[in-house]
Amino acid sequence: MRYAFLDEEAKKEIRRSILKAIAIPGYIVSFASREMPVARGWGTGGLQVTLSIINEKDTLKVIDQGCDGSVNAVNIRNFISSVTNVDTTTDTKKATLIQTRHRIPEIDLEEGQILVYQVPMPDILETVEPNTAKAKIMHANADYSKLWVLLYEDTSMYGDSRISNRYPVIVHDRYAMDPSPIPKYDTPKLNNNKALQLFGAGREKKIYAVPPYTKVEPLKFEDRKFKIENFEDKSCQRCGSRDSFLDEVYDDNGITHYYCNDTDYCDSYLKNGAKK
Amino acid sequence: MAYYAIKGGEEAIKNSLNFYNDYTKRSEKIDDEDLIESLTFSIDKVMSEGSLYSKKLASKSIKRSAGDLLNASFFVRAHRSSCQRIGICKELDVNDMRLSRRISSAFKDIEGGQLLGASNDYEIKLLVDLKNEKVDIKEYSNKDNVIDSALTPLRNDNLIKILPKEEEPWDITRVFPTSPYPRSSVLQVMSRGESGTLLGFAYTSMRGYGDVHPTIGDLRIGELDIKFTHPFTKKEVKIGSIEATAVESAGTFNKDENGDTKLTTGFGFCFGKNETKAISMSIIDLSLYNNSYTVGTEQIVASDFEMVMHHVDGIESFGFANHYKLPHYVTFQTDYQIFKSAKKYVEEQNQKDLNGALK
Repeated sequence: MRYAFLDEEAKKEIRRSILKAIAIPGYIVSFASREMPVARGWGTGGLQVTLSIINEKDTLKVIDQGCDGSVNAVNIRNFISSVTNVDTTTDTKKATLIQTRHRIPEIDLEEGQILVYQVPMPDILETVEPNTAKAKIMHANADYSKLWVLLYEDTSMYGDSRISNRYPVIVHDRYAMDPSPIPKYDTPKLNNNKALQLFGAGREKKIYAVPPYTKVEPLKFEDRKFKIENFEDKSCQRCGSRDSFLDEVYDDNGITHYYCNDTDYCDSYLKNGAKK
Repeated sequence: MAYYAIKGGEEAIKNSLNFYNDYTKRSEKIDDEDLIESLTFSIDKVMSEGSLYSKKLASKSIKRSAGDLLNASFFVRAHRSSCQRIGICKELDVNDMRLSRRISSAFKDIEGGQLLGASNDYEIKLLVDLKNEKVDIKEYSNKDNVIDSALTPLRNDNLIKILPKEEEPWDITRVFPTSPYPRSSVLQVMSRGESGTLLGFAYTSMRGYGDVHPTIGDLRIGELDIKFTHPFTKKEVKIGSIEATAVESAGTFNKDENGDTKLTTGFGFCFGKNETKAISMSIIDLSLYNNSYTVGTEQIVASDFEMVMHHVDGIESFGFANHYKLPHYVTFQTDYQIFKSAKKYVEEQNQKDLNGALK
């Protein structure tokens, strides 16, 4: 098997798409998208991005739903390390390259780190316009009126947007972007992040990016506050932290327990205390 | 405790895989040649949807997936990504096919005749042992049947609408196009598409969402030589041959860009023996490029480029459908929170309205 699985031509094409994506923050770049040995919809876009940029010096972390140990994360990490010789870690701070599904790590990322998202639906306009040809024209004209109307209708009926995760954001005051299905809790972390954020959608054959220190704002009416998930007075039952996204876990007696969703954060909180 | 259960991924995967291998290991005992010679339509379906012409690899993938043909195509497709491309063969002309089967329902009598070949189309489908009459197939001629498409005379008479030729065919495996989609890319997507999906899309047209009851002008199965320019001698060399199915179907007539009235046709082509798929593909091609003759509503699936380009690939749709099996507790947690606060909001509003009405 060749290094990082993909042939050099494929990697070159993907890197070119990534460069274009970085140059136009939030803009969706089309690419051919190779078939991976992992099923479509299971992170093939993130995988292709990761495999195209990974090298011997990298330290890799893979998370799925906040956890390094969940089946998909394990599977992808095993595959990447079987076709490269990189070191892997679960420690967010030690990782140079982090591939993620549906979460941004709790601990702030640093310059030089790259966060690769697995994206199921790359175009946020899909929620209001499923036809990709029409959506492309709407992006070109920065015509996001349909998203605003959706937001208005939801707010009038339910008091807030019904979109719970993959909440629409505006990147660098220009493109509306789908931030991958991260909870609203993570949306503010996209803004002015020190790390490079790359988004890969394999099935939909799209790549886009948010360069470090880029303005990313949720689509929101001026007189309405952006509300994130709220765990009120709950704390992690394992490490005791009150400042992280929590999973609700039901035990055999039907009692609800709360634990950190980011398992690495939970471990480090136990050891070192709160995040910086 | 449940918390630790979600962390046991590594071992769980290993156990599950071992269990699966044990569960399906008898398939390994099937000889590749036996499988290729006996379940030939499965092999051809996998090659066609996996978009890699190798009967041997198709056989291995069918065994690896214990007969799940979508999964088998996926094995082939993934393997394909690890293959280095060495070049591009010469253009193929389906008229050059050495035919093993060829039928036309448009003409009673065609040059070269109807060639039924091997088919069970006219068999009574019952699971009872039928008495097979002893037939000496050695009596049949094995001469190469190379016959032009039955629609060629009409084309020569300038009666058939011809779509503009693309300078350079698109290659969807290297760059995926955005709308407007070149025809070569549309045909490629369909040629690798999932047979059942193509059939479903084509059937919508047959049933009235598109007004197409096409006539099969020419359906053919046969062998095509693959020719290559030799890298050193620069001469044309034959490097092998493939079996393929090609269909030309004829639809209604239409005015072309010069105002001439022309008969419209659609084209289907795929690896192996895949008649239903090739017929479906030709009908969709016909509907896509002649949608001014459609009836029904504005939105006709078989005439919608976006629908076809983004929905007919089996590997993609099957993978995504199965991704629902992955954990989604973060997204569900957020859904649940939003739901609870929306419910609370609606109840408060209702209460306010009620109070207002009572006053």
